[in-house]
Amino acid sequence: MRALKSRALLFSLVGSAVLTTFSIAALPFSRGLFRVPQTPFDASDAASTPPAYVLLQRASSLIPQGMSVVIRSEPPDANSDSNLHRFGVALLPGRKIRPAALWGVPTSPDVTRDAEYEIVLGRAPSHAPGRLLLEIPEGTVWRRER
Amino acid sequence: MRAGHLWLASFLLLPVVGAPLLKARAFRGFGLPARAVLSAGVGAVLLSWTMTMFALVRLRWGPLLVFVAAGLAFALRIILRRDEEALLPGEGREGAGRATAFIAYALTVLSLLATLAATIAARSTSPDLLLFWGPKAQQFAAARTIDAEFLSAPYMEYLHVYYPPLVTNVYAFGAMIAGRFPWGAATLTFPLLLAATAIGLTGILRTQATPPRTAATAALATSAIALIGIHASVAGNAEPFLLFFEILGLTLLVTPIARSTAGKLLAGLLFAGAAASKVEGLVFVLAAGVLFALIERGAARPFWRTLLLLFAPTAVALGTWLAFGASRRLFSGYQGYGSVLEPRFGSLATILSDVGVALWKVGYALPWLVPLVVLLLVPGKNHRVLLPVLAALAIAGFLLFTYLTTESIVRLLIAWSAARVLAPVSALLALASGVRDAR
Repeated sequence: MRALKSRALLFSLVGSAVLTTFSIAALPFSRGLFRVPQTPFDASDAASTPPAYVLLQRASSLIPQGMSVVIRSEPPDANSDSNLHRFGVALLPGRKIRPAALWGVPTSPDVTRDAEYEIVLGRAPSHAPGRLLLEIPEGTVWRRER
Repeated sequence: MRAGHLWLASFLLLPVVGAPLLKARAFRGFGLPARAVLSAGVGAVLLSWTMTMFALVRLRWGPLLVFVAAGLAFALRIILRRDEEALLPGEGREGAGRATAFIAYALTVLSLLATLAATIAARSTSPDLLLFWGPKAQQFAAARTIDAEFLSAPYMEYLHVYYPPLVTNVYAFGAMIAGRFPWGAATLTFPLLLAATAIGLTGILRTQATPPRTAATAALATSAIALIGIHASVAGNAEPFLLFFEILGLTLLVTPIARSTAGKLLAGLLFAGAAASKVEGLVFVLAAGVLFALIERGAARPFWRTLLLLFAPTAVALGTWLAFGASRRLFSGYQGYGSVLEPRFGSLATILSDVGVALWKVGYALPWLVPLVVLLLVPGKNHRVLLPVLAALAIAGFLLFTYLTTESIVRLLIAWSAARVLAPVSALLALASGVRDAR
């Protein structure tokens, strides 16, 4: 009976050791395990998230509460724009986020026309939508002029 | 002090809220660390329910929440007054395997450190944190209530307004104290809750097995959840909460304390936490409660009392949430991704294949295969193994049915979610391997 119990323990320990080894192997050593990440998504599978996260965090100090904002990507991409709307709701609390696209489909221009600020992920737009407030590698922030 | 530190420190109030209940003598056999994490679990359930009730009756959230929730824990303690003599049978038999226990604890700690490293390195952050858990919590904290106006605003359908409230409530509670919602600190709930699960599991199991057996089972469950969590990106998502409540609630039911009112009440409260964390938690609670009554007939008598203790907390928690949703015309129940009356059995092979691929991507499906193999190889069969195994099958069956009734996005949904939503199956198989030679 004692031998049986020892065998049971051995199976559990060996199994746990195998799983722990795989957990350690899954760590992002090549990125530098002890380097403080710029965003909570730096080494995650969501590769497109960190640039948007950085841009929106920087934009949050430039856009006052209560203002309306449209966030879009350049070149235009409805799937990316749908996500950017959601990221904007998360990272720009207190602002009115106007979606440039929803569920991968561009919205009507009426939805975004009255936005007071425009955030562009990626390269700067060919026609300036207003006054440039911020330009960083991840994108630009504009105060729209009427 | 930074907002992230304050937000994390706010979690220290949770065991304070739950402590009046866990101070009961019936729980002393678990040891102080396990009682502390179980107090935190009960505290989270009571605090979340209080927050939902305040929102329902249009009371703004404030410090009163903590006092009301702790008062509820005191009130629940009254139920246990007559049951207090039902002490646990001690701390288990002392085995000779100190070295074995040491190795098992070392493996547990290594797995926990791996999850901590993965989380700090931003390897395992869930996109859902940014998509809906975080935004809702942040807004609720700012509004000092569950903000119905925000949830019903245009273009906000993606927020899953009907998702049960515990995770957003707990996150919002910390955000009120911290002054803002700290995105990075929120990811640390993954290693913290996994550590709490490991501590709770060890404390509960030691009442029915030798220290080496207890440590080995905890190590297997912890390492399996760790590997899934790292690969399937659960940091900041609701899975760590769900696993904490499900695994500890069910573990109570396979140990001697399940015979007592105290054990059933505590399991019922943890089940309420599971049901209030994620939609599928309700399926688990129903399956686990019914299976306990069927498998442990001696311990479950009288049945009405057992089912009341196991299910009433869930009914109250979800009933309050549904009442809030109905009163604000936000939702009247849970939504699926298709018609539950029209399962597409023709897609079964494709769905199974896709689920297999999703699990394979998580360490070659080892988090499921290893506990299963250990369970099959370990000698000493015992009917109690049926409870975690059949509960795991119930979860797997429900998720398969969900995929069968999901329409256009089913393949995407499986790729996104299959590994993490099937994590409880892995942990329950690991638990089953530890209870089979028990008692």
